[in-house]
Amino acid sequence: MRYTPREAFFAFRRAPLLSALSVVTIAFALYTLAVFGLVWLNIERVLDDVAQRVEVIVFLEDGTDPAESATLMSELATYPEVDSIAYVSKDDALARARGDLSEYRELYEDLEVNPLPASIEIELKPGFRRSAQVNEIAARVERFPFVEEVKYGEEWVSKLNFLQDMSLFLGLVVGGIFAAVAFVAIGATINLVLIAREDEFAIMKMVGATPGFIAQPFILEGFVKGVVGAILALVLLTATFSALEQRVLALGFYTPAQIVTGVALGGVLGAVGSILSLRRHLYGGTA
Amino acid sequence: MILFKNVSKEYPKTGYALRDVSFHLRRGEFVFVTGPSGAGKTTLVKLVTMEERPSAGTVRVSGFSSDRIKRREIPYLRRRLGVVFQDFRLLKNRTARENVAFSMEVIGTPREQIGLAVPRTLAAVGLASKADHLPAELSGGEQQRVAIARALVNEPFVLLADEPTGNLDERVSKDILRVCKDINLRGMAVLFVTHNRTLLDDYVGARVIELDRGALVSDTGAGDS
Repeated sequence: MRYTPREAFFAFRRAPLLSALSVVTIAFALYTLAVFGLVWLNIERVLDDVAQRVEVIVFLEDGTDPAESATLMSELATYPEVDSIAYVSKDDALARARGDLSEYRELYEDLEVNPLPASIEIELKPGFRRSAQVNEIAARVERFPFVEEVKYGEEWVSKLNFLQDMSLFLGLVVGGIFAAVAFVAIGATINLVLIAREDEFAIMKMVGATPGFIAQPFILEGFVKGVVGAILALVLLTATFSALEQRVLALGFYTPAQIVTGVALGGVLGAVGSILSLRRHLYGGTA
Repeated sequence: MILFKNVSKEYPKTGYALRDVSFHLRRGEFVFVTGPSGAGKTTLVKLVTMEERPSAGTVRVSGFSSDRIKRREIPYLRRRLGVVFQDFRLLKNRTARENVAFSMEVIGTPREQIGLAVPRTLAAVGLASKADHLPAELSGGEQQRVAIARALVNEPFVLLADEPTGNLDERVSKDILRVCKDINLRGMAVLFVTHNRTLLDDYVGARVIELDRGALVSDTGAGDS
C-alpha cells in the first residue's frame, strides 16, 4: 500500500472514539442542513404550485362606467407581466356563483338585486407570480379610483416565503454549529496523531518530505470521515423522510445529483477541517 | 558546497551560539568539527539544514542561500543532505530495511527504485544480514549504521554527522568513523561533528574546524581553497 492511503487509516486505529465523534458531528451537520434544505425545497414546490394558480382579481365599484373599466383593461394589457385579462360583469359573476355554489342556488335565485361586483381577472405570466411582483401589480391597480378591492391570496404567499427563508437560515445556523464542532473534533484527532508520531514527522522533515506530502494522509482521512458522515446523514434523512411521508403525502426528495453533491460536500467539509488544523502544525515554526 | 560567511547566530534568551564564523566545505571533503559542549556545533548543523537562519552573515548550501531561500524550498535543500544524530532517531516499530525505505517513500521515490537502493545501501554500511531486524534487536553501533544508511540512501552530496558516536563506546565509535571515512572515499563530503578529540588521533592531517564558545578558533584546512 502506498504511503498516503496506508497512513490515512492510522487515526481511525489510534483514536477510534474521536474519529467516530468527527464522523457523527459531520453527519449531524449535514443532516440538519439537509432537513432544512428539504423543508425549503418542499415550500418551493408548494410556492411554484400556488404561483401557477395565482390570479389577481380586481373588484370594481358598483356603477363603474364601462368606459373606465375598458381604460383600465387596455392599460393592464400593456404590462409585460400580464398574460391574459378577462372582464367579469355583475351578471356573469351571478351566473358563475349559481353554477359553482349549487347548494346556495335557491338563495341566489330569489335575489332582486345582484350583490356581486363586476371584476377584472388578471393572469400573470410565469416568472411574475411571486409575492413581491404580485404586490407591486396590485399596488398599481389599486390607484384607480373605481377599484373597490384587489385580491390575490397575498397573506399566505408571503407566509410561505417567510417560512422558506427561516428554514434556510436555521439550516445554515444549526448546520454551521455542528460543522464547527466537527472541525474541533477533527482537529483534536489530528493533534493526537501528531503527538503520537512526532518522531516520524521529525524524520520526514529532516529527509525533505514537503509539508504537502506530510499533510496528504490527514486530508485524505478528513475526506473519508466527511464522506462516511454524509452517508450516515443520508441514512438518517431517508428514515426521517419515509416516516414523514407516511403522514404527509407527496413530499419531494433530493434528486440523485443533489445527493451526490451532498456527499461530496461532506468530504470537502472533512478535508477542510483537516487542513485548518494542520496549517498550525506543518506551517508553524521555522522548520 | 557549504559556505559560511561571517555567520553569527544569536538566541533571544541564551545569547550568541555562533559568532562571526566563516569556512568553506568543498565537494568531497572530509571535515571534523570539534569543540567542547556549548561551542556551537549543533547550531552549526542546524544552520546547514536551515532549521535555523543566521542572525548575521550568510550560509550557502548547494546553491541555496540562507538570505534568499523560501520556506517551501527547504525540503528540497534537505534532500541534498544526509543527517545523522547522536540518538539515531530510528522508528522503533519498523525494521532496518523499513527505516531506510521510509526516507525514500516520504519524498515520493518510485517503489522499484526503493527496492533497489535500500539493500544496496544497507550492504554498504555492512548491515545486509540484519535488514529485517527491529532497532531494539540491534546494537547501538548497528542502529547508527542504519541511521547512516537512511541518510545515504537519497544520495546527498554531504553527510552531516552530529555527534554520531556520542552514545557509543570507543571501539564502536571508531567503527562508525571508519564507515564515514569509507563513504567519503566514494566521493561524498562528510561533516563529522564530535566533542571527542581522541577519535581524531587516527586521522592525522585531516581537516579540523575547532569551535569554542561560538567562535571558530582554528581551521586546519582554511585558505587552500
